[in-house]
Amino acid sequence: MRNIPYINLPAQHSSLKPAILKAVEKVLDHGNFILGEEVGQFEEKIAAYCGTKYAVGLNSGTDALILVLKAYGIGAGDEVITTPNSFLATALAIQSVGAKTVFVDVNADLNMNPDLVAAKITAKTKAVLPVHLTGKPTDMAPILDLARSKNLKVIEDAAQAIGAEYQGKKVGALGDAGCFSLHPLKTLNACGDGGVVTTNDQKLVSRLKQLRNIGLKNRDESEMWGYNSRLDTLQAAILNLKMDMLEEWTLARRQNAQIYRKLFSAGKFPDFLELPQELSNGRHVYHTFVIQTDYRDGLQSYLNDKGIGTKIHYPIPIHLQVCAKELGYKKGDFPVCERTCQRILSLPVYQGLKEEDLDYVVSTIAQYFNKGVYHG
Amino acid sequence: MRVPFSYLERQFPSEVVEPIFEDLRMFIKTGDFTLGKPLQEFEKRFGDFIGTPYALGVNSGTDALLLSLKALGIGSGDEVITCAETFIATAGAIAGVGARPVFVDVNDEFTIDVDKIEGAITKKTKALLPVYFTGNCPDMPRILEIAKTYGLPVVEDSCCGIDAAIDGKKAGSWGIAGAFSFHPLKNLNVWSDGGMITTGSEKFARKISLLRNHGLINRDEVEIFGLNSRLDTFQAVVALRLLGDVKNITEKRIANAKKLDQAFVQLADYIEVPHRRANIRHVFHLYMVRAKNRDRLLQYCNEKGVEAKVHYPIPLPYQKCSGELGYKNGDFPKTERDCASVITFPAHQHLTDAEIDYMIETVRNFYTK
Repeated sequence: MRNIPYINLPAQHSSLKPAILKAVEKVLDHGNFILGEEVGQFEEKIAAYCGTKYAVGLNSGTDALILVLKAYGIGAGDEVITTPNSFLATALAIQSVGAKTVFVDVNADLNMNPDLVAAKITAKTKAVLPVHLTGKPTDMAPILDLARSKNLKVIEDAAQAIGAEYQGKKVGALGDAGCFSLHPLKTLNACGDGGVVTTNDQKLVSRLKQLRNIGLKNRDESEMWGYNSRLDTLQAAILNLKMDMLEEWTLARRQNAQIYRKLFSAGKFPDFLELPQELSNGRHVYHTFVIQTDYRDGLQSYLNDKGIGTKIHYPIPIHLQVCAKELGYKKGDFPVCERTCQRILSLPVYQGLKEEDLDYVVSTIAQYFNKGVYHG
Repeated sequence: MRVPFSYLERQFPSEVVEPIFEDLRMFIKTGDFTLGKPLQEFEKRFGDFIGTPYALGVNSGTDALLLSLKALGIGSGDEVITCAETFIATAGAIAGVGARPVFVDVNDEFTIDVDKIEGAITKKTKALLPVYFTGNCPDMPRILEIAKTYGLPVVEDSCCGIDAAIDGKKAGSWGIAGAFSFHPLKNLNVWSDGGMITTGSEKFARKISLLRNHGLINRDEVEIFGLNSRLDTFQAVVALRLLGDVKNITEKRIANAKKLDQAFVQLADYIEVPHRRANIRHVFHLYMVRAKNRDRLLQYCNEKGVEAKVHYPIPLPYQKCSGELGYKNGDFPKTERDCASVITFPAHQHLTDAEIDYMIETVRNFYTK
């Protein structure tokens, strides 16, 4: 039996290790651990990659969302519109600045349904926060049009979507600000927590730079209460190395998705499975390759028994979490989201996988369905 | 001669770095980057070192304070009492949870004046937040008495006070929570931002472990809205190697401070060395004294290569960010005096005797030649 883990960080890092240690050694030699020059270099690189004028390195993707909301003055009494099937951090960022999270349902592709946004806008709405979940860009055009007409900020939660494109532009360059996570499980990953904001808004940049550094304008003067949320110099040095490989990794993930598609279409079970669809005008980067099926739980445990790691992103929607009680939502409020939570399954898609690994995954899934195990 | 303020350029010669790199090499292979095993081991050992059953790694000293206040349920409409003379992050953490920092003036030893605390307590007060500024200890026994009388929790800002102690009981083990910083310029430093919360309360520790990790009780279920503030496991690997040195670092700093004290006492017309208490282990994160003609002394020292600094020239209550709090000049006479007269000399563990002598000579020359 093969063993195909859902993700394999040790494999990713064993070839990078000498280069990483060299980069670490360089930082150690200059000793500039806090906001050293590698942070600025990384900010320039990622801004250039995303096609924005600026980028600001922060401690995490969560903090990227929190600090952008703060920097736009969003807080108590305000509302921000987002989706309920994201990783929890999206809503907690809104809650943590004191604003109210207002959810809209998603499409079957797990991204915000733009048609539902207008009805949720009130006098208190300050921003729309679409999530490019799974690495697929949200259909942004209608959201951007609506936001412009209502004078709302558009903050992209691009935590899973570095490198994704919509109408020829990279995510993070579509709205007023793009928030990225550099967590170890992301395609562009630090060896610890990390985050970054991309934007063309110079005022936002100067506020973020103060907010991330305890509000300090210089060593001795402080104009606003801030936070401590800096991207580590060490992590920036490691990320600078990985930036050079990002496009290669992204293409490898897309290639894996392509292979999955080919293998699945050759199989005899399309009725039981839905594969992720791409936008005609967008590039999907497959942070996750999410299939949907009514037989999800049985399939997952079967795959697990056969040595194949899978995950569910995410089984419980945010509006039904205990922490979200105060928001007053109930089961049934977001039917598409709630249905997908029962049906989604993320298959391994990381860049180190070989074609025979993917073949094993697909033929194991075929086995599950062809044996009729799913009936019982 | 140059006497550097920062010791970072001397702290990591190859014999110190090589074992750390060896550990990192092994660690990187595991990919165990978030809340990994080395972090758990460091937390256990740090808790043992401070004398608390629980220790939880967070992203910074600032976050250690912020998460502690959050865990106590402190927020909008509440007040937290702290010291007017401290780094901005102390008050920033209070403002960060939406509460109002209420400042109390210092005593002559750069810690909160305990006689003024009760006058600052109101119905809205939700916690006391004394600071181990410079590495000296606030009067914790008195502070705990006051806290008990008014039913208030005590959060210790022990960011400058690793290994500091009163009658042998360490900073970070007195209140419900101790907040530590492992910033590169702290006595126990990692290679980035980093922090730790120590506590004796299992309930509080559980709350912190939720708050630092998005409020997740497991991968899929969320109990409370939290934050993302974890000490990188990578840095815990570094810290595990450095933790064993902390005691030696402290001893060396105390010895250096003693030499400086002895020299400066002879310049009593110009320099005021704060009173040193026998039962207090002051760890001299900063060696700070009050000096006549401070600005000129600072300039003179810097010109002579002695990298003295000022912590800090502007009182916190008068910073622009404190504007909404409504304080005015004259509210904190001792803090104001300190901001106008304090100077910090290098006292770190890598100073040589020749450098200390040169520093003393430089100061003596400034005043007597």
